Amino acid sequence: MEEMRLQSGGTAAAAPIIEFRGVSKTYPTGTHALEDVNIRITGGEFVFIVGSSGAGKSTFMKLIMREEKANTGIIKVNGFNLTTMPRKQVPLLRRTMGIVFQDFRLIPTMNVFQNVAFAMHVVGASDRDVRREVSKALSKVGLGNKARSMPAQLSGGEQQRVGLARALVNSPDLIIADEPTGNVDPNMSYEIVSLLTEINKRGTTVLMVTHDHNLVRDFQHRVIMLERGKIVADNAGGSFQ
Amino acid sequence: MKFSSMRYLAGEGVKNAWVNRLMTIASVGVLVACMVIIGLAILISENVNKAVGNLEQQNVVMAYMKDYNWALYGGDSDTDSSSSGTDSSVSDASQDTASDPEEAEAGTSAESSEGSEGTASTTDDTDKADENGIKPSDYVIHNDEEAKALCDEIAKIDNVAAVEYITSEEGLESVKESMIEGQESYFTFLDDEYGNPMSGAAKITMTDMSKFDETIDKIMELDGVDTIQSQSDLADKIAAIKRGVGIAGFWIIAILMVISLVIVSNTIRVTMYNRKLEISIMKAVGATDSFVRIPFVVEGMLIGLVSALIAEGLLYFCYRVATETIIATLGTTDIVYYSDVAWWLLLVFIGIGIFAGVLGSVIMISKYLRREGSEFAAI
Repeated sequence: MEEMRLQSGGTAAAAPIIEFRGVSKTYPTGTHALEDVNIRITGGEFVFIVGSSGAGKSTFMKLIMREEKANTGIIKVNGFNLTTMPRKQVPLLRRTMGIVFQDFRLIPTMNVFQNVAFAMHVVGASDRDVRREVSKALSKVGLGNKARSMPAQLSGGEQQRVGLARALVNSPDLIIADEPTGNVDPNMSYEIVSLLTEINKRGTTVLMVTHDHNLVRDFQHRVIMLERGKIVADNAGGSFQ
Repeated sequence: MKFSSMRYLAGEGVKNAWVNRLMTIASVGVLVACMVIIGLAILISENVNKAVGNLEQQNVVMAYMKDYNWALYGGDSDTDSSSSGTDSSVSDASQDTASDPEEAEAGTSAESSEGSEGTASTTDDTDKADENGIKPSDYVIHNDEEAKALCDEIAKIDNVAAVEYITSEEGLESVKESMIEGQESYFTFLDDEYGNPMSGAAKITMTDMSKFDETIDKIMELDGVDTIQSQSDLADKIAAIKRGVGIAGFWIIAILMVISLVIVSNTIRVTMYNRKLEISIMKAVGATDSFVRIPFVVEGMLIGLVSALIAEGLLYFCYRVATETIIATLGTTDIVYYSDVAWWLLLVFIGIGIFAGVLGSVIMISKYLRREGSEFAAI
């Protein structure tokens, strides 16, 4: 498929932060998840990935995280060539990105502060840095006063904001959000995407998978549509149909 | 890895053990049981070895020498050739005293050594038969010095722990003492009429009775040794007991080690599945495999260490009660005391605990981490 690329944030000449060239992925079960996908996402873009169930969105995300390997083609993310990268470098790749999950994935036995700090401990941050950066991240998502709350004491929207703070705390170049609004009410959905947009404006690339057409319509960002493993549309400006 | 990370991970390991305390207690319980059984196997083995060692000390071998008395009571036809190498040590003194067999046998070393140089070229002259018709060339060991030299040769043989020279007189006394009343008169008669029937002997103690036969063969190869008297049946039994205890101990320890490993692995597996969410987040945010692994290894080590300390205490208490009972009922104090083995048993337990803890957790977590693909998928 001919690559169509329109950007909301970066420029055409900017270096790609994500690049797929002729990427195909077939699972051992024989399922063709992606076929000859070509994408180029430059630094600072905000991109919605849309498509129906089984379209290949999850596989697309897994390939970016190098949770799966492509059968053919070349994938480059944040300067890493995922096609040739050895397994031991996968943690280094993932430290350059923040991930937001649909189901929040907060550890129920840890409070808000500990859940966010956890991502910093993993990369070996000092206690002082952890205290400073976690507080900053919680303030960014508007949860500075809920640091000691347990996840069960928070609403869905608040839990997702904790997830967002955890994704942000290591100052990544790229945020990958897998249906972050899937488990929250419409008002909170707008709040979450607004927060992501704000983060994007500060220069962080955001890649968000969603089913919510209203969000895609209302937020003017680049949209990539996947169907049956192929890119069927790659628009910009929220003109997705 | 930074100190702050290590501290964090160690804390996580301890926290894991506490959060899964029921499973931890169950694992510690089974591990303690395994360690106590291993400890008992070691203590039983040590006690058997001590008892066998005592038997070994008592199980001496007598190597009788080809000396004058031996020649007096028959000797053998090969003596001439076999004794040729010792001709030079035949002294004037021994020739002079050859008329008296007892004196000839017990000739002084000073005279022997002085004579040996001067008489080397006059061997034929000195090799004269005495009134019993025995020539110096008919026997190999001519005096105490040669007998002691032979003992020294025996002592050099591998597996020989100690050698003691028993003169023919001491041998005769010993035989008489071992006889029931009346029977010793026969030996007195022989001694009076024909001379002491006992040859000088080397009383030999061996280190390892399982090498009995090969040691005996080496002793027999020495010039001057006539016959060996031993309790080879007892030696075989001792060797068999030691072998049996060793094999049984090895298998008990090996089987219990495997059980310990499986138990710890199982606990770690349960902890791991309880923390599946945490692991998936860790991997998603860029944790290395070793970062994910360390808390589990710490937890495994902790289980192993706590088990080792409890096992040591429990075994000390049980063994003390058992030994006090044995001493009170059997009256023997010839046992291994716990204080003799306490430290190395503790080291063995800690070793087993850490080995099982570390290996069990490493196996489990590595198996889990090898299966990539749980970070993004729903848990």
